Amino acid sequence: MEIERVKGKIMEGQAGFPRQYGPTRSDHQPGIPFFPQETARDFVLIFLLTALLFFLSAFVTPFLGPARSPQISELIVPDWYLLFSWGLLKVADVFPQFVIGDGTPLKTVFNAAFWGDLLSGIPVIFLLILPFIDRGREARPAKSPVRSAFGVAFLLAWIFTASLYSIREVIAQRWQTPTGSPLINDTAMKWFFVIPPVLVGLTSYIGLRRLGYQPMRKWLFPYVAGLTAIVVAQAAGIFLIPGWLGPEVRPYVILLGIFLLVLIIPMLVASVAVFALPESEARKWVVRSGVAAFVVFTGLVVYFTYSGTPNHVAFTWVLSVLYPNMNTLVLMPMFAVLTTYLGVRRPYSSYEYLLNECYQCGKCHTVCPVTKVEDDALGGLNLVYNTFKKQHDGVPLWTCLACDACSAVCPLDIQYSDYILEERAKVHARMAADGGGKE
Amino acid sequence: MPYADLTRVVVETDQRQVPRSHAEKYELKTIWYWYPLYCLGGISFVAFVILTITGILLGFFYVPDGQLRFTASRDLTNPAYESMAFIMNTVPFGFIIRGMHHWSAHVMIAAVFLHMCRVYFTGAYKKPRELNWLLGVVLMLVTIMFGYSGYLLPANSLSEGAANIGINMTRASPVIGDQLATLLFGDTNTLSGVFILRWYWIHVFILPLVGTGLMVLHMALVWLQGVAEPH
Repeated sequence: MEIERVKGKIMEGQAGFPRQYGPTRSDHQPGIPFFPQETARDFVLIFLLTALLFFLSAFVTPFLGPARSPQISELIVPDWYLLFSWGLLKVADVFPQFVIGDGTPLKTVFNAAFWGDLLSGIPVIFLLILPFIDRGREARPAKSPVRSAFGVAFLLAWIFTASLYSIREVIAQRWQTPTGSPLINDTAMKWFFVIPPVLVGLTSYIGLRRLGYQPMRKWLFPYVAGLTAIVVAQAAGIFLIPGWLGPEVRPYVILLGIFLLVLIIPMLVASVAVFALPESEARKWVVRSGVAAFVVFTGLVVYFTYSGTPNHVAFTWVLSVLYPNMNTLVLMPMFAVLTTYLGVRRPYSSYEYLLNECYQCGKCHTVCPVTKVEDDALGGLNLVYNTFKKQHDGVPLWTCLACDACSAVCPLDIQYSDYILEERAKVHARMAADGGGKE
Repeated sequence: MPYADLTRVVVETDQRQVPRSHAEKYELKTIWYWYPLYCLGGISFVAFVILTITGILLGFFYVPDGQLRFTASRDLTNPAYESMAFIMNTVPFGFIIRGMHHWSAHVMIAAVFLHMCRVYFTGAYKKPRELNWLLGVVLMLVTIMFGYSGYLLPANSLSEGAANIGINMTRASPVIGDQLATLLFGDTNTLSGVFILRWYWIHVFILPLVGTGLMVLHMALVWLQGVAEPH
């Protein structure tokens, strides 16, 4: 029987096939045993962790502080893992406050504390229903960009900005104008809940899809140009609309203009590059302008911070314009450049990333017409498997008909023919570069 | 399953090893640089073991009584706080044991959160591991409650503030808010200091009971279902 022969060749007895059938069968599995090998490795980790903990407890004393007292103490900050909930409680007063069912047993007061409870519950509810709303099979982050981008935006960025908002009093006290008012006002801090997570989410989506072999320029141009338009419009508004700049900032208008230019120029370069240049050129220009802008900006900040009081005062007044608009003027240029870079970068260096998904079910081999007629077929030629293992001398590459039968049966939807055609194109390109002669 | 079969299974399972991963079994090329992230669940368990040991030791000296009194110099104090000071200053190695308990708690919560992120981003919660993901979410909440109840217990100004926030958040829940706050904190304010005793019992009995049980289930399911690997 053909099937018996194939089974004998490709499955049983091969390295990695887990068990033998028949009387010799046992549940013993080959591989690294739990004891002592894996246990030894685990103990290395355990001892390292214990050593770290001893070090910390010896040198970084846990805080005890004064005994509890009903008097109102200074600013209370919970441990870091509850900061997000505390931040959500503090921001909850932006929601409308009302009472439902007054006079009935089901009276519900929608006050700030209740809104805070609801907001803190949102991540938990999302986590609980997650496996039931995401039913897809795809596990890799780059192959499921929506899930990954949502995770980066919601689980990381949003929780982080919420945590940051919980120490708004510290931030308001730490960064102040020379006249003593906070540099970052409450409105800017509240917008910080919305804009950075959205930017982070879109950037991750574009970057991850590019990583997973999708050309992303259709996304990039509206996104980057849109961000640029917002920032340019706001910068123009700052200078042109009378009354936007306070009288204290007027003397420093030129310095403000320089800072804004350093922020806007790389955005403009990115927009033009994405629109007009081929991908490799665009990549170069975005990296150049982004790095240059970063160096200049850092240099300016360091220079104006440490070169004497008048410069520092001037710099603080510039910051008093930049910081309240940090969601647009500072974050959007950064994200525009970063997104452009991620969106035009090379994807994974080889097609192997996609072939890696193969778990060698052998269906492609069964349907492959080449192996049915080639002499080599009886000698173990398996086009897909041999290519995958890099065990070919060029034969699998050039005997493939690109009929796509293998892709049609592949349970993981690996586009094998695409790979073959790409590899052949590479060889042709190499030959053309060598002058087009025969090999 | 009949008794004879059970014994046979147990005997034959004697030499069983950790099930090899999907990738090992089929000689897959794996994405190796993700592997270090696969130790986070184990790290949180190790931290939990350390927490249990140091917690038992601390339990010999801690007094769960938050009633306010005055010192000789008319400063406010309470027995729980006094016992903390006693552990820190007088008990041999008390300082370092409390430090271990404190830092292991931070490590455990950080490891749990990062472990959850790893599971999320590698899609390891998908079919057939939904149940284990739900167990994991509950375990994360248990861990956070461990942390919260842990920093209520020293009865210092931080625990006072945290207890007030907790009471107000509990009271804000509709219909049963006040009753729930009275159940969890002993009162609807922190004056009496009963909340220390309540949360002490939650911290040393209820949460360990629920947490350990769920952890055993969580790890048993990983053992049965295998590690979900990136490939």
